[in-house]
Amino acid sequence: MLFLPRMSPAISVRNLTRRFGPFTAVDNLSLDVAAGQFFGFLGPNGAGKSTTIKMLTGLLSPTSGQIEILGLDFAARPLDVKRQIGVVPEGLALFGRLTASEYLRFVGRMYGLDRDTTNHRTDELLDFMNLAAEPKKLVTDFSHGMQKKLALAAAVIHGPRILFLDEPFEGVDALAAGTLKAMLQRMTERGATIFLTSHVLEIVERLCSHVAIIHQGRLVANGSLDELRAGVAATLTGPDTGQKLTLEEIFLNVVGGSGAATSEEPVQELSWLA
Amino acid sequence: MAGLEPAPSPGPARDGFLSRRARQQYAALAWIQVCMFFNSLRTRRGNFELGARVVTFIIFTAVALGPSIGLGFGAWAMASAGHLRAVALLLWVLFLSWQGFSALAPALAGQNPELSQLLRYPVSFGSWILLYLIYGIAAPSSLIGLLWTAAIGIGVSVARPAIAGWVAITLALFALFNLLLSRTILAWIERWLAQRRTREIVTGLFLLLALAAQALNPAFHQDYRSPRYSHQKQAVVRLFDRAARMQGVFPPGLAIDAFAEADSHRTLDAAESLLALAFYSFATAGLLALRLRAESRGENLSEAPRRSPAARAGAAKAHCPRGRPLINFSGPTAAVFEKDLRYLLRSGPMLYNLAVPLVMVVVFGGTMRGGGSDFLGIRHTYALPLAMIWAFLGLTRLISNNLGAEGHGIQFFFLSPTPIRTVILGKNLLHLTLFLLEALAIAGLVIFRFGAPEPSVVAATVAWILFAVPANFAAGNVLSIRMPYRANLARMRRESGALGNGLSSMLAQFSFIVIGAVVVGGSAALGHPWVATPILLALAALSVLVYARVLSSVDRVVESRRDSLLLEIAK
Repeated sequence: MLFLPRMSPAISVRNLTRRFGPFTAVDNLSLDVAAGQFFGFLGPNGAGKSTTIKMLTGLLSPTSGQIEILGLDFAARPLDVKRQIGVVPEGLALFGRLTASEYLRFVGRMYGLDRDTTNHRTDELLDFMNLAAEPKKLVTDFSHGMQKKLALAAAVIHGPRILFLDEPFEGVDALAAGTLKAMLQRMTERGATIFLTSHVLEIVERLCSHVAIIHQGRLVANGSLDELRAGVAATLTGPDTGQKLTLEEIFLNVVGGSGAATSEEPVQELSWLA
Repeated sequence: MAGLEPAPSPGPARDGFLSRRARQQYAALAWIQVCMFFNSLRTRRGNFELGARVVTFIIFTAVALGPSIGLGFGAWAMASAGHLRAVALLLWVLFLSWQGFSALAPALAGQNPELSQLLRYPVSFGSWILLYLIYGIAAPSSLIGLLWTAAIGIGVSVARPAIAGWVAITLALFALFNLLLSRTILAWIERWLAQRRTREIVTGLFLLLALAAQALNPAFHQDYRSPRYSHQKQAVVRLFDRAARMQGVFPPGLAIDAFAEADSHRTLDAAESLLALAFYSFATAGLLALRLRAESRGENLSEAPRRSPAARAGAAKAHCPRGRPLINFSGPTAAVFEKDLRYLLRSGPMLYNLAVPLVMVVVFGGTMRGGGSDFLGIRHTYALPLAMIWAFLGLTRLISNNLGAEGHGIQFFFLSPTPIRTVILGKNLLHLTLFLLEALAIAGLVIFRFGAPEPSVVAATVAWILFAVPANFAAGNVLSIRMPYRANLARMRRESGALGNGLSSMLAQFSFIVIGAVVVGGSAALGHPWVATPILLALAALSVLVYARVLSSVDRVVESRRDSLLLEIAK
């Protein structure tokens, strides 16, 4: 297991556990994310990523453990914490029968913004996300990518200091993804912390300064990309160890190659498939 | 490539609704229903839902059995007395009840299946229609209709055994026609309610028809002894005579023709009537097919207006309009109020539910006034409180499942820094506003029909409302959190999980009505009608306290039920 030093935390998790009956989805997870970090949270399917992000954002109560956001205990002061964070959850949390503008104005008011600020930011966000073209279209009629952009707009309308993003680029076109990445990077430059999960390792590698990997509910790696590279390289033997490892290689190495076939292993085939 | 689908044939695939593949699909769907049923029994909620289903079945059976005995006996008596054609009256009652139950009472309309989920599978259009009709047969309105049809059939067959075969065939065809028509009406109403423009037209026509029906209502005419009333009565009798002659070309009349001709051994004429009845069924099936064909092709029933690419491009360049606020005050409570109001205004089926009680008061108000005896003047004197009960009915679904329509949006309430009790309060305020509007409209109708009620009755009614509204909201808030189900505001269907919630909500409402009736009736029986008001006001104070208590505990209860709420509503 690979654990490396961190800075002062914006997110601090201690011994976080979540059980569903006999199944332990997240097992004794401890993690710190420093303020201003672009943090990637990775893991194979069913590893516990979404369960963790749900607990960090108040969508799921932990079985045990402690969560502190910006020094505030989530269990003790949930509303204060929620004022400081923005979230794009797995289900996007959109209201399908509103228009984009109505939805953003609703969200702004729910975060306690005054009407003028809400209206101003709504217009700005709709323009920025290229969602202003069809003002009468209901959210339910948006494409998946448009819904993602709207969910992201809603997550930032109140100017959060921490942003939790569950698969933010899935279904978003390359043009919009570029705009979003630039926006997120500018946010981190201004001191915001971003906690992101994604299956697209290239995106994580390009954006994130720090990465944690969860596997079968347990944290198996945590640190900056360079630190992870060095840690994994130290465990490897062979002719390729001198080359710079990609995040995909680090990931496959850390999760133990489950689901990844090496060139020596025979690839299982489905005999009936063309 | 063993196991792969065979290469497609050059022509279009011909999978009939009874083909091997179709039968496999039905078996798979039946199997999945069985699995879902048994899986649902793993939870306490699922068991409660089953219990509610059994109770509802018993209630519906009890409600259906009485009239079916009456219809059967009536048919027997008419046919025995040689008035076979008079059975047409019973068939008209059956026809209008079947269609009325289906269109006006969503609880009786049954589950209208969300067949669009089958779009991804190779399900033929014939199978699509068949599945739609199978769900239709399982609807309480259809089961009641079938029971009544059977009762009439048995009555006629016992009186005239010689034509039992004709009766069976004719009534089977008549039942098929009714089933097709009820599903067609439901499918088209859903279609029209889905979009604003057609919704407005349908609502206008619906209200116009309901009001126009009153022109035929003799109860509208105040003085039964005046010569004017006698003239109007004669006009109504003439109208009924004309209608009786014309009814022969409609399905109930055709069915009776088939009976009567068969009874007179004019087999060819009887077959002709049967053929005409079959034609009606065929034409109705065509209308249903037209609607379902669009659905099976993945029709999009969105509110968004269709726009040309040029218009879209123009709009992209134009400044984005901000959209008018519906209410001009800020804060989370107002935000929730406004959001839910927008949802409601965009939901045809919910607006329809709100309009139905008004129509009921208009339609049945006439019967109340004129038909039958007015035992001790109860119906006249207490028309206002009796009509107020209707005002609650249209809001039942909204009040007792106030989070159900949020879908994935429910997550937002857990992510935002607004306490859930603020969200619930915003919803309750909207529902209170809607109730008051509906109550005012109903009060207006009652005064128009019956004149101004006694001051003591007005005071007792207001006091009862002050008691019943907070009590109803408190019960609704508890049910919304404890027994939520995902509601689809775009469809007029009974959703999965709605039965237990609906039954509990009806029980709560019934108890509030009984309390009001006992207090008002008791004080009137004792000769002190004014006593009811202070008693009901005391109960109102108690119910406000209960409401406040429930509201203050909402956050704690929601916190403890967060996982199941998200699972039920955002599933």
